[in-house]
Amino acid sequence: MTDVRLLVQRFDPLTDEKPRFAEYSVPKREGMTVLDALLYARDYLDHSIALRFSCRQASCGSCGMKINGRLRLACYTQVEELGGEKVVAQPMDNFEIIKDLVTDLGSFFAKHKQLMPYVLRSDSQEMDHPSAEFLMKPEELEKVLQFTYCIKCGLCTSSCPTVGTDALFPGPQALAQAYRYLSDERDEGGKRRIDALDTAHGVWRCHYAGSCSAVCPKGVDPALGIQLLKRHVMSGKARSEGAEVWKQQAAAAPPLK
Amino acid sequence: MKESRLMLIQYATAVLAVALVSIHLIMQGVIYPYATAISFSNILSIYQNGFYAVFLEALLVIVLVHGFNGVRIILHEWRQTAPWSRWVDVGTVLAIVVSVGYGTRTVILALFGGVTA
Repeated sequence: MTDVRLLVQRFDPLTDEKPRFAEYSVPKREGMTVLDALLYARDYLDHSIALRFSCRQASCGSCGMKINGRLRLACYTQVEELGGEKVVAQPMDNFEIIKDLVTDLGSFFAKHKQLMPYVLRSDSQEMDHPSAEFLMKPEELEKVLQFTYCIKCGLCTSSCPTVGTDALFPGPQALAQAYRYLSDERDEGGKRRIDALDTAHGVWRCHYAGSCSAVCPKGVDPALGIQLLKRHVMSGKARSEGAEVWKQQAAAAPPLK
Repeated sequence: MKESRLMLIQYATAVLAVALVSIHLIMQGVIYPYATAISFSNILSIYQNGFYAVFLEALLVIVLVHGFNGVRIILHEWRQTAPWSRWVDVGTVLAIVVSVGYGTRTVILALFGGVTA
């Protein structure tokens, strides 16, 4: 069994002036992920390494970081696919570092919430006491399906050059989600969402670098979503007809029991 | 004005600028040899032709609107404070108005004989 050289960027903003790298030698095993290597280093070599993780199966989006210079999920990246000899782990760019590999995602989630990532409707009575399911046609679902795969890991936002320069830019994750809900036939929040993103620091500041789509571990294409969003906004469609479409579908659906 | 309208203007002026600048370059380098094209008398004769005067005025407006709007976008990305954004927007409008006004003055003067060879 050979060892892998694991270089971890260490930085505590409370005590350190600048980041430094700490090197650990981790015994390699078949199928070992970068997260496995980091956890080995933390458990057996240095308890002070700070990292965030949870599901270990690319579902929760907690362990996003820069690995060998590329933004990836640590649990979804095998040491072997990096050459198997040297792994460099750094925190994501475009976020404040809390400690070592842990970044502050507060602004990321705030921007996500700002664009109202949920179905907005005017018939609150129906929302509270539904008379039928909120159905969606399969072809309508297909339009937005890939965007529902987002796990909010922040890798796309970390890779975005505009986010790096414009602190008010919502970022690819929030904009792609805005498109996902704007395109939902059941949604009536078009105008509110468009008002929030059709600003000097909104959707138009995307210059289509495409790095967001290149790094997404779930195969989502946020850059595509943003371009479709631009078309949606430019067309002036502030969807309000969704309610009528849904009412027709609801009328044809079997009642809830 | 909504940012989407400003971007629509930006895209439209980009397309128009490609067409008008291409015509302009053809006029200056193909129809007339370059050395002749930039002679003062030749330029003056172009300005004094009503059709070309309108063409040059359109070129002036389109290129300036596109250019200054592009600079506005860069400046918005550079800093994000509310006062800065306000000054950038006001400054862009002023820059366009002053530049178009100055260029239009030249076109009008040349067209109506205010400039002679």
